[in-house]
Amino acid sequence: MVMSSFTPLNKSLLRTTQFKCLRRLYHPASNEYVNPTTISPLTYSMDSIQSKILSHSLKEYVPTSGFNEKSILKSINDLGYSSSMMSVIGASNSPSFAHSSPAVLELIKYNLVSKRIELTKDTNDNTTTTLKELLLKRLEMDIPISSQLRGLFAQLATPGKFMFDVSLPELFQLADDMIFFSNEKDHHDMAWYSKRLAVSMAYVTSKMFMIQDTSNNFQMTMDFASDKVDRVMNLGEYYNNVEEYAWFTLMNSINLVKSQFSRM
Amino acid sequence: MLRTSLYNQSQLLSRPFSVLAPLKATVKNGNKSVKAGKHAEAKVPKYEQLSEAQRAYLDRVIRVDQAGELGANYIYAGQIFVLSRKYPHLRPTLNHMRDQEIHHHNTFNALQIKNRVRPSLLTPFWKVGAIAMGMGTAMISPEAAMACTEAVETVIGGHYNAQLRVLTNQFDLEDVSSPENKKGTPQEVKSLIDTIKLFRDQELEHLDTAIKHDSRRAVPYKVITEGIKGICKIAIWSAERI
Repeated sequence: MVMSSFTPLNKSLLRTTQFKCLRRLYHPASNEYVNPTTISPLTYSMDSIQSKILSHSLKEYVPTSGFNEKSILKSINDLGYSSSMMSVIGASNSPSFAHSSPAVLELIKYNLVSKRIELTKDTNDNTTTTLKELLLKRLEMDIPISSQLRGLFAQLATPGKFMFDVSLPELFQLADDMIFFSNEKDHHDMAWYSKRLAVSMAYVTSKMFMIQDTSNNFQMTMDFASDKVDRVMNLGEYYNNVEEYAWFTLMNSINLVKSQFSRM
Repeated sequence: MLRTSLYNQSQLLSRPFSVLAPLKATVKNGNKSVKAGKHAEAKVPKYEQLSEAQRAYLDRVIRVDQAGELGANYIYAGQIFVLSRKYPHLRPTLNHMRDQEIHHHNTFNALQIKNRVRPSLLTPFWKVGAIAMGMGTAMISPEAAMACTEAVETVIGGHYNAQLRVLTNQFDLEDVSSPENKKGTPQEVKSLIDTIKLFRDQELEHLDTAIKHDSRRAVPYKVITEGIKGICKIAIWSAERI
């Protein structure tokens, strides 16, 4: 009788949340399971051919020639693979005439995902790393490709499927990782969202600042970013103080009214 | 306060009947237990990865239960706020139930942080709605407040049972470390099942308490209970998704 009401777990569960920005998955305790072979948005493992080509091109060619097919092609030739690997690399992205080739989009995706994983690789549960340190570390990771950031931003912010399915979810995932793997306090209510939003905004604005920064070793960007984080945290504190005061005053006045009534 | 009392209770339950039992432990027994410990340590099962659908389901379970316990906590808070002065005899009952709900809420809060689950986006709305529901029914009469409790706990009991059904049936994973790849449930899912079972029993206890306190004598009984049941079902549906 009850058996018929089972809802078998299948893909329809995932379809209910259409927006990938809002879709999140439970993070299981890692020590009970075998290690995953792939890292979530990527469809291949970190020691696959695709990954070798993309990381090689990120290191060798992207800093000079930018995020384009030429960088990938040069890496494919360097590593001695057939040039048809280009279509293998782009296989997980749908082609779009309003955007770059699927392989270039995959290169951008790989750049974001691999750096995000790299950022929190050595952190453990009771870490003393602060949020600011993680943010600055992530900005430093992009110093080698600093001359290509303008093009990268243009690709990421082009409105369309790629922006909603990859750029924005990656940005929020990065903010989430930064908060989870630092000693930052986490929340159960709307503060969960506002903190992630604030960290994402601080990261994006610092990156925008980085594009036109000409100072030595991007010192001005780092100052700007740490100042930005400080201001966000101050704003949070102002809000909390106001809320606490308003709640106290409300309770105070209610109790005052109650006490006057009980005297009668 | 409640946490410590629960802790004591579980300690009491696990304590052997004989007070002298610990003194009787011999060397032989000690060796055995050490051996057993080693054995267990060597055989930590490693399961295959949870599928995306299973992870999405666990995500939902924690989000909706967190929101639900938050709601329950605030409903009782609203009821206590209205009733505690006029009907002091109800105060200990309501406080006891609210303390249990606070414990449930804290448990799910901890799970939400630990497993990086997104809290419900409608949290502020749940808070306001729950307080309004608690205060509104309590203003009608104490019986109406109890009818509200009865309706809420009925829906929650059914909801927890539905979750338990899925959790016990759909989470048989292959244990890759065992030679014949036999199936089993990971420890974290097992402990989630145990938590939900315990909480379901406590919620149903609240249901009994409400009926004992004349919830059936609330004046528009049908209207209150059926209306609140409908609201709860809509709330569960949306807290799972949003």
